[in-house]
Amino acid sequence: MTTIPSEEVAVSRWQLTGWKRGLGLVLLLAFTIAFIIPILWMVTMSFQAGDKMFQLGTEWIPSVWHPENYPNALSRAAFAGYFLNSGVVSLVVMAGNLIFCTLAGYGLAKFRFPGDSIVLLLILSTLMLPLEVTLVPTFLIIYNFGWMNTYMGLAGPLLIDAFGVFLMRQSMLSIPNDYIEAARIDGAGEIRILLQIILPQCTPALAVLAIISFRDSWDQFLWPLTVVSSDAYRTFPLGLVQFGEDYGNPPSEQLAIAVLATIPVFLLFLVFQRSINRGFGLSGLK
Amino acid sequence: MTIQTLASPVRTEDGDAPAAVASRFNRRIRRWGLIFIAPTLLFLLIFKYGPMLWAIGLSFTSYDMVSQPQYIGLQNYRLLLENPVFLETLVNTLVYVGASTALMTVAGLGLALAINTRVPGARHCMTAIFLTNLMPIIAVCLVCRLLLHPYGLVNQMLAPLGIERIDWLTNEATAMPAIVFVTVWRFAPYFMVVFLAALLALPDDYFEAAELDGAGVFRRFWHITLPLLMPTVFFVVVVSALLSARIFLMPFIMTGGGPGNATRVLSMLIYETGFSYMKMGQAAAISVVLFAIMLVFTTFQMRLFMRREQVYS
Amino acid sequence: MDNSENKPTVRAAKSKGVTRRDALALIGAAGAAVASPALAQAGRINLSFWTFENPQQRPWLHKRVRQYMEKNPNVNVEFQWFTFADLGKKISVGYATGTAPDGFVSQDWLMPTWQAKGLIAPLDIQKLGYSSYKAFADDFPEAFLAGATKDGKVYGFPTWFYGFLNYLNVKHFASVGLDPERDAPLSWEKFGEVAKQLTIKDGNRFTRQGFKFAMHAPQWTMVQFNPILIGAGGSWFDATGKCTINNAAGVKAMKLRASIAKEYGAEDPAESIATNPLPQMDWLKERASMFWCHPIPPPAIQSQNPAMATERYYRPVQYAGIDGKPGISTTYGFNLVINARAPAEKQAALHDLYKFIMSDAEDCWGDTQPFPIARKSGWTDNPKVQSFPQIAEVLKARDQGVFLPRTPVYNELADAVHRAVQRVMLNNVDIQATLNEAAAEVDRATASARG
Repeated sequence: MTTIPSEEVAVSRWQLTGWKRGLGLVLLLAFTIAFIIPILWMVTMSFQAGDKMFQLGTEWIPSVWHPENYPNALSRAAFAGYFLNSGVVSLVVMAGNLIFCTLAGYGLAKFRFPGDSIVLLLILSTLMLPLEVTLVPTFLIIYNFGWMNTYMGLAGPLLIDAFGVFLMRQSMLSIPNDYIEAARIDGAGEIRILLQIILPQCTPALAVLAIISFRDSWDQFLWPLTVVSSDAYRTFPLGLVQFGEDYGNPPSEQLAIAVLATIPVFLLFLVFQRSINRGFGLSGLK
Repeated sequence: MTIQTLASPVRTEDGDAPAAVASRFNRRIRRWGLIFIAPTLLFLLIFKYGPMLWAIGLSFTSYDMVSQPQYIGLQNYRLLLENPVFLETLVNTLVYVGASTALMTVAGLGLALAINTRVPGARHCMTAIFLTNLMPIIAVCLVCRLLLHPYGLVNQMLAPLGIERIDWLTNEATAMPAIVFVTVWRFAPYFMVVFLAALLALPDDYFEAAELDGAGVFRRFWHITLPLLMPTVFFVVVVSALLSARIFLMPFIMTGGGPGNATRVLSMLIYETGFSYMKMGQAAAISVVLFAIMLVFTTFQMRLFMRREQVYS
Repeated sequence: MDNSENKPTVRAAKSKGVTRRDALALIGAAGAAVASPALAQAGRINLSFWTFENPQQRPWLHKRVRQYMEKNPNVNVEFQWFTFADLGKKISVGYATGTAPDGFVSQDWLMPTWQAKGLIAPLDIQKLGYSSYKAFADDFPEAFLAGATKDGKVYGFPTWFYGFLNYLNVKHFASVGLDPERDAPLSWEKFGEVAKQLTIKDGNRFTRQGFKFAMHAPQWTMVQFNPILIGAGGSWFDATGKCTINNAAGVKAMKLRASIAKEYGAEDPAESIATNPLPQMDWLKERASMFWCHPIPPPAIQSQNPAMATERYYRPVQYAGIDGKPGISTTYGFNLVINARAPAEKQAALHDLYKFIMSDAEDCWGDTQPFPIARKSGWTDNPKVQSFPQIAEVLKARDQGVFLPRTPVYNELADAVHRAVQRVMLNNVDIQATLNEAAAEVDRATASARG
């Protein structure tokens, strides 16, 4: 994922011309809309009365708007607190992943040593056992650290994810070795090389890693369910499920919460989108 | 930038031969490599390998979570082989992982190619599509369950085509395809971004040359683009396989494994066996089976692809 | 929420007239008054107590716990709740890791599981206000006792305990010329006919299903299938512990279960908008005329169909009976239990807490109607209770119901039956073959549970 100066992408081998351009646009648009139907439906329904959801006919523009679903939903449980908890934990997890996955990815990508593919396999193997079986021992570890019902307990096991290591390794593989070796010959230290040469060249991957690790932590259900037994540390997925179990709550309010839950991750995406685009050289596009 | 020989600007001790300097240099580099990897390995040792080994050891015991585990050798595995539900679930999982992986890879690549055509608005389409990856999984399940209802939106849209009502989630034949479809829909955007990044990093020279030679779009893609994308394909295939092997909440909430056992996958069986039936030892045995499958698969992928990596890095 | 809302102000004495109090409550209150000084001398006690979320039941429990803490300032109860499905898992993990609560509410079909593993402590019924085991046994329905007692010892102190009822939509009955009282289907044969009469179809699509079975969760499948199986003369297990749902009676029961949809054409099993919190959604939205359900609290109806709630055009009746026998319901409930691993002084404090919680039946009814509590004596004559429409039906279901099978492999059984019903109803698989598979599955589970 190297940076490409924007002038050079002006002539792209994929550029469509003339009527193909228009057709391509229409097709892409149609496909995109089809793709995002569920999310559009979710947003629309969150502004409707609870009834509409089960009427099975779809009213895309609500005839009666119910924006009060949002404050109502928020008031029924301590969602502000839940969102805060989820936010803090996810930021910590994101930071941890950004730092350590980058380091490990760099080590695996650019430092060839005997057995490095074994190490990669070892790291990937941590993704092959589902959380359910490792739940009890992981819980015991957290418990013995005294991290039950704390932010560290919620974030701890998620701090470094093998996916992230794999992603960073993947992106760094394509950085030409010449730059690195030249810098070394010039006497630059390894840390400097990492910070000044490697990192700028993989900003898209870093952005993707940040967003995905934040999102994964944000979505976690089973782990917070296990490690939290106090309302003060509940995360929003727990709150959302608990909220949905109460028949007094209109289901459209549950969707309202879900929409709100999408917003922080989306904001994060917008923040990083610019760096993704720069890296992609897409900034020349409208 | 030309590569200067190693000998000249490196600080040398008086009297050291260049070769000795070189090897010290290499050792320094290798040391740094290990330093970079060390924190991750340490973390994984504590939080992953410890519990994993515990879980594997547990598969040889009978453990109900409230009393001490009791060693029973291979009995858990023997019981699994005799259990038709396990075998059915195993097949379901292979189907699910296989189909999801293939479709996610193809869909991700397809979406990336579509965005890469640089039509106006492509970037916004990419953003919108990526948005679907950000919906909370619980909301996804809730929404999709209603959309896939016998009289829900999907069937409403299919009705003009003359397709009669399809009971997506309650019919044995369509339940698994429906779950696969929702899975692919949810995760393809992530791979779209990955593929897009890779596509845009491809050097232009190859393509200009091919275009000058008169090669058509499809040939250019098949003979130039795809081979250059192999490392990314490898990444996507491995990651999508590992992801779909672990997925549990989606089928669990949408169909509960039903109808019958049609959509029961191993991750769900593990959860039920461990937490519902309180047979943690058996759940661990099932996990070991899943682990073995994924290990074999990933090793195979690595063998297949990593040779190519050397060429292109 | 946890105990941070504990207010140390002294509560005013109860203002309601003593004459309306039932005798047992008096005994209970007196007992608590006697016990409290003893506890007060014991020093500060911290208890942890977990329950499941329910819009009526949980707040009432929480209220009672808070009241108890006000009366006994030296006792601090950390009150936590989790979703209904997750509570069992949290407790299992708790036991596995030594972080289980001191006391919790157990769904009573899980009692055999806890008992088999020695996880819950036998209760001292005298501390709960009963002079003898017989006094205790006389005060609770058979079905409850069968589950919560073992070898003459009591392991759970029941809170709510109720049976399923057949809820009818009175308006629908009237619209097809049926009288909900006279024509309420109390025999299975009539049941199918009535359901068929109530059905309205628009081509192939059901505008209104005469009757709807809940199919969203194994527990509901069990509760609904249990009376049909027992009524058809079948049983879950035989004397040797082998699963017998695939014998002739079992097949007959499953055929009956399937008949509403397949023979009478009154149900569309694949077409439902039921949700976890509201399995009765189809009935609430008037897409179905009859539905088997636990006593439905008016707020639940209000939340989805205010007209039905205010005009009250629904009524519960007993289940339909098979072969001329009266219908039986499935009863189940929730027990207050004590962690066997909790230290003795905490166990003693929990007894006191439990006695206090259940000592005001009238208040319980006020907050959680129409869920009846298990206790038979002393509260049902209360005018407030009697004024609730069709309370007699609710109590009849509770008292005449049968319990779910007592087995440590209950969850495996429920899953196997649930799957079998799904396959029969949704995919038209042969009934005998499906039941054979289910029985084999259960037998496998039983065998490995013993091993």
